[in-house]
Amino acid sequence: MPKYGSFIRTSVALAIAGVLAAVAVGGAGAAPAKKQDTTLTGAGSSLIGPALAIWQPLYGAARGVTVNYSAIGSGAGIAAITARTVDFGASDAPLTPDQATACNGCVQIPWALTATVPVYNVPGVPDTKLKLDGPTLANIFLGNIKTWNDPAIAKLNPGLNLPSTNITVVHRSDGSGDTYVFASYLSKVSPDWASKVGAATSLSWPTGVGGAKNAGVAALIASTPGSIGYLSDAYTLQNHISKAQVKNAAGKFTLPSINSIEDAAQLVKEVPADNKISLTDPPADPKYAGAWPLSTFTYIIVPIQTAKAHDIKNFVSWVLTHGQPPIKKLVFAPMPLVVVKAANKTLTQIHS
Amino acid sequence: MIDGARPSISKFGLGFLAHDVWNPVLNQFGAASFLFGTALTSLVALALAAPLSMGIALFLTELAPKWIQAPVTALVETLAAIPSVVIGLWGILVLGPVLRNDIEPGLHSALGWIPLFGQPQTGSNMFTAVIVLTIMILPIVSSISRELFLGVPNELKEGALGLGVTRWEMVRGVMFPYARGGVAAAMILGLGRAVGEAIAVTQVIGGFVGIQWNLFNAGDTLASRIAAEYQGAVSNLQVASLIYLALILLVFSLIVNIVAQVIVRRVARKQGLTR
Repeated sequence: MPKYGSFIRTSVALAIAGVLAAVAVGGAGAAPAKKQDTTLTGAGSSLIGPALAIWQPLYGAARGVTVNYSAIGSGAGIAAITARTVDFGASDAPLTPDQATACNGCVQIPWALTATVPVYNVPGVPDTKLKLDGPTLANIFLGNIKTWNDPAIAKLNPGLNLPSTNITVVHRSDGSGDTYVFASYLSKVSPDWASKVGAATSLSWPTGVGGAKNAGVAALIASTPGSIGYLSDAYTLQNHISKAQVKNAAGKFTLPSINSIEDAAQLVKEVPADNKISLTDPPADPKYAGAWPLSTFTYIIVPIQTAKAHDIKNFVSWVLTHGQPPIKKLVFAPMPLVVVKAANKTLTQIHS
Repeated sequence: MIDGARPSISKFGLGFLAHDVWNPVLNQFGAASFLFGTALTSLVALALAAPLSMGIALFLTELAPKWIQAPVTALVETLAAIPSVVIGLWGILVLGPVLRNDIEPGLHSALGWIPLFGQPQTGSNMFTAVIVLTIMILPIVSSISRELFLGVPNELKEGALGLGVTRWEMVRGVMFPYARGGVAAAMILGLGRAVGEAIAVTQVIGGFVGIQWNLFNAGDTLASRIAAEYQGAVSNLQVASLIYLALILLVFSLIVNIVAQVIVRRVARKQGLTR
């Protein structure tokens, strides 16, 4: 099978070289009529949005293909590819059974690895100084911990001068992959959360206020002293929002970084046929001592049969190889080899 | 639409209307909290917009000098032309924080005994949604009312003034009764707008499920819940329930419109005026 895959990739590369050569030979005389065929349109995850913004010009320069992308949220991206109004969808949460059925012959391919992170606005507590653990985080979002100077938070932050301000929980109001990652983590560390709330892209929140998209959550956090929420890590880099340290199962406080996400990704030993992988809350093994417990793969969702099969396969192969290094600065970690292999294997299923 | 909502209708029936749970994880859905949020926000918005727009309409027709009339009329009507998503953004970035920090604490300490004015939380709450809705229905109600006031025959006005009543008495005794039916209809039109507004409300209301009276808390309306969740629905039953919400919204707006028609007719008949 891998041999077959590499054969496809070689032939695809040859085909591209051929097209490029044809364009070059055509030169100035050739009308740009062919351009229409070399546009890919996608929509979905806002978490992958900043990465796509980096990929678009690079891929355009390397292969002459225009990629349009709208960061409308994972849920909306799934809806868009289900309706086939785009060439690909992107989601941080794998498809639910109902969504997979509705999408009618779609595959999900992991194509980047990054993190969701709790963020806060607590007067007097600087960026990255707040330390939290899973149960405390769950109790805050369940509404059981109501003030910042609660003993449970104070115990984890002996050096901090925590105010008596009320805690305001901020969450996403739209269907979101970040919500899925965050809630999956809380479900693993808090039986209370698992039984009362659970994990999905949209939830029945016990407390708090919803903001639309990452931007809405960021605006609410920035304007509300005493607030806590969660964002895609890439998004916090562009906005000056304080990130919290989270204690992993091995007992270490960590922050999202290339290293801590890679540590969490060691968790992947094999990839199931549907590519559904969860990285949240790695076990208490010293191997995962440095791991960030809210790491996540993010997926591109493509119909198995599509007129643009050729272009999509090229694009995804490029993302899996050349696309990874330039997004490191946005704290997207390199994907483990076993996942890249699985992604390439799934890619071979796509046909026109 | 009934077809799309069928799975939800057959699962929850009319109990959907009374149930205030909305849980996509457990597949439990009900419309009660959104019905409540829709009614509360749009009625309070109308209560704020009605006197304001009457004032604007009267000012423009009776009090303002000619050179003020044209620019103010244009300004008010431009308000109606601002896309709701822009008003919503302004609501998140400017209005919400201002209300949260400067207005709501004062209202809470002065009027906190009224359940509507509870403890303020964030800038995204039902009160921000109310103010956004007020701004959106103000131009509709005031420009229709202005037209109606302009339509009051001059002979009636001059006759009243000639009898020696003050200007205010003339407004109350002649203009209001004359325009009453139309003004009531304008307000119900405004209410319809408030009930159906989705985008701007979704941006500022905070998306909280549950029935509670505190305007300074997050809430949700029928339209905003549909706008926020339709594209991200995780199950078929959630999609069906959202369509069910849309169906309720449709019936709700229909009733509002019928009520408007009835009021206009009744007032017209009472006055024996054919306009």
